[in-house]
Amino acid sequence: MKNWQKIKQNDGLKQQFLVREQVIDSLRVFFKTRGFHEVETPLLVKSPGTEPYLEVFDTTVKFAEGDSYPAYLLTSPEYAMKKLLAAGFGDIFQICKSFRNKEGRSSRHNPEFTILEYYRANADYTALMKDMEEMLPALAEARYGKEGRNGFEYQDLDIDLTLPFPRYSVEQAFLKFAGVSREELLSETKLIEVAKKKGYQVTSDTTWEQVYNQIFLNEIEAKLDKTRPTIIYDYPLSQAALSKRKASDPEFAERFEIYLAGIELGNAFSELIDGEEQEKRLKAELRERDALGKTKYELDTDFIDALKSGLPECTGIAIGVDRLVMLLANVPSIEDTLLFPINELFPS
Amino acid sequence: MGIIKGGNIRKNSYILFKNDPHIVTKTEFVSPGKGSAFTRARLKSVKTGNSIDFTFKSTESVEELDVNTRQMQFLYSDQEEVAFMDPRSYEQVTIPRALIEDKLGYLTSDSEVYILFYDEKAIGVRVPLKVRLKVTYTEDATAGNRVNAPKKPVTLETGLIVQAPLFSKVGDYLIIDTDTGEYVSRANE
Repeated sequence: MKNWQKIKQNDGLKQQFLVREQVIDSLRVFFKTRGFHEVETPLLVKSPGTEPYLEVFDTTVKFAEGDSYPAYLLTSPEYAMKKLLAAGFGDIFQICKSFRNKEGRSSRHNPEFTILEYYRANADYTALMKDMEEMLPALAEARYGKEGRNGFEYQDLDIDLTLPFPRYSVEQAFLKFAGVSREELLSETKLIEVAKKKGYQVTSDTTWEQVYNQIFLNEIEAKLDKTRPTIIYDYPLSQAALSKRKASDPEFAERFEIYLAGIELGNAFSELIDGEEQEKRLKAELRERDALGKTKYELDTDFIDALKSGLPECTGIAIGVDRLVMLLANVPSIEDTLLFPINELFPS
Repeated sequence: MGIIKGGNIRKNSYILFKNDPHIVTKTEFVSPGKGSAFTRARLKSVKTGNSIDFTFKSTESVEELDVNTRQMQFLYSDQEEVAFMDPRSYEQVTIPRALIEDKLGYLTSDSEVYILFYDEKAIGVRVPLKVRLKVTYTEDATAGNRVNAPKKPVTLETGLIVQAPLFSKVGDYLIIDTDTGEYVSRANE
């Protein structure tokens, strides 16, 4: 049965889906009361994200005059929003759809998903960590009333939102949870050697990125306290193409991810504002896409121009709204928050 | 034995993990921080019945086990094991209950199911996608809850409890989806 039919049969089911409206309203209030402007940027673009592993949706823009252009659905609104930062809009946010193709059917992914992306000008990622400590309790309060600020129930977990949220740097997390030293973490040959000793499958094609993520997923993410929002910060430079190098420790970049209930909720950077360095990193990513046989498209040179024209120091984050709604609706899958989930539109 | 990619591990298949046979009870696609793709799988050891989670690189090689199947009849289950019989040879086999706990609600005395063998040992059972089960207990629906709860709990002959429409009554036969454990329809006699 389709969701609309289930709801027609069972009016009470509506509430589960209306949590989305409540979360989005609360997010708007959160940003508007903090002086942010809401902006809207295109979903149909010429140059989507360059992330090597992302698969995009491609289409063609056709004009009645006869000219046509390859076009793509964006993977995140990052480039356009940074152009607005360069233009001087200051603190901005957007709640929009983003698209990623060729992801497996999963309780945490939908090819079309809702993203909250926001930027603070003249601030770094520590400001966003503080925002997270205000935003999650505010959303829980909107949903569950005052006592929601301290926590709420999610499936079989008692979510505890008391401050401060636990934080580990990637270096600390690898040492604490996986017994991997900084030296091993940052060396491709050493990390692959460690992975081999731990019993992971290693072949001549195995890359640093694969073993880094496999150790992270099996030994770190799996061991984080699921009841606590947990911030993992300062990522190895190669894991942060759009973020600023840490001045005090240049092998790492100012990036953090926030996890709750075993789910990655958001990904934040102190943004890289050096246009030349950005151009270099994005070109390297496009070359990697090429090597991986992914869809080819041009670098967004307008984005590089915007950075070169002068971007204020800034920091930004992308948050998976569907995942937030899933937690606050207390349902096991994001499918249960979507009126028309992908499995209903395109069943296997 | 076949070699498959981590990205092609499917629920209900059998794989060799750390040299021991495991059944895959759950899989989930994961792509951390826009990184490469992984498959997170829940694996139940065929030897011990214990479950663990492991995240595979989508490109790594995984050994899928050749499992033989034989059609058999369900006989009985007790605290320890579940017994089946080959209706042609009368040969009986038992499977530790812990390995097929999640399938017990779909087994009745006239169930014809496929028993899975690995290394000549019975390790699992494949039940039909849909089964027909008799309602043995349910309370009468009251008028008051029709709007917000058009379904009610219904106990079936195997002990399985499902949410079924209010009109369901003792003695009805219901069709149940064995993948989701959910009510599909009322069975026509």
